[in-house]
Amino acid sequence: MTQADKNLADQNRADDRLRALFALDEPPARDPVFSTEVMARVMRQRFQEDVAFLLGVTAVGAGALWALWPVLQPVLLTLSRGFAPALGALALAGCALLVLDARARTAVGLAS
Amino acid sequence: MILTSLDESLVAAAQGGSAEAFSRLVERHQQAVRAFLRRACGNWAQADDLAQETFLAAWTRIGRLKTGASVRAWLCGIGYNKHLSAVRSAGRDRAREASYEADRDATLDAPAEDKLALEAAMACLPAEQRACVALCLAADFSHAEASDALRLPLGTVKSHVSRGRARLLQALGVSSDDAG
Repeated sequence: MTQADKNLADQNRADDRLRALFALDEPPARDPVFSTEVMARVMRQRFQEDVAFLLGVTAVGAGALWALWPVLQPVLLTLSRGFAPALGALALAGCALLVLDARARTAVGLAS
Repeated sequence: MILTSLDESLVAAAQGGSAEAFSRLVERHQQAVRAFLRRACGNWAQADDLAQETFLAAWTRIGRLKTGASVRAWLCGIGYNKHLSAVRSAGRDRAREASYEADRDATLDAPAEDKLALEAAMACLPAEQRACVALCLAADFSHAEASDALRLPLGTVKSHVSRGRARLLQALGVSSDDAG
């Protein structure tokens, strides 16, 4: 064995010793408690972001509606007079569809 | 290679908003991130807090992770920055030493002397050197991977690892001349 080989072997042995000592405080490969805590925080953060986004959208929508209301109000009044019968018919048709669809599903055993 | 491609597919799914995919990434990499932070900051409780912060930050930044990048290195990089911010913001060094002593008492059942000598020597290393040692000697990162994670030049990483290794071996009573 040459001196270089001996040095390399010593170096590897020393590194192995260091690695073995470091390995003593290695966390477990699977830690459901840690993962669950992280994901709970992620979900909380996501929820807060969603709420903030919805609040923002609502505020912008409310502001726009408030600013445009003088223009929108007469238009909506005119439209609602013209479309009231059609909207009523559409609502009725929608209800009928819901009821019939539920019955059809029950009939073929898709719903109880 | 298969593991890397699994990471890539999980990252792609998480980038699309899948919390389930991200949860699997947490499961797969929590050990590496927590181990690195334990060694980098010397305080297990603080390291676990930082690891949680790391994953939270990763969730918000996952869209920026490039395809094919090492997830482990990316996470350790985020963790390292969190650690540096914590140290800077709170004059944490003194508290760290105190909690280090407390942790040391708590782990006395481990093979004692060498472990304690190693921990004491790690605590004395400068933050950058300590992080390089934690990645390259304890976690089998390549120098290039550590350089990428810590955003340090490759030469700096190599020199930190070499010096850190010598100091750790000296603390263990191994002459660095004998060991390379």
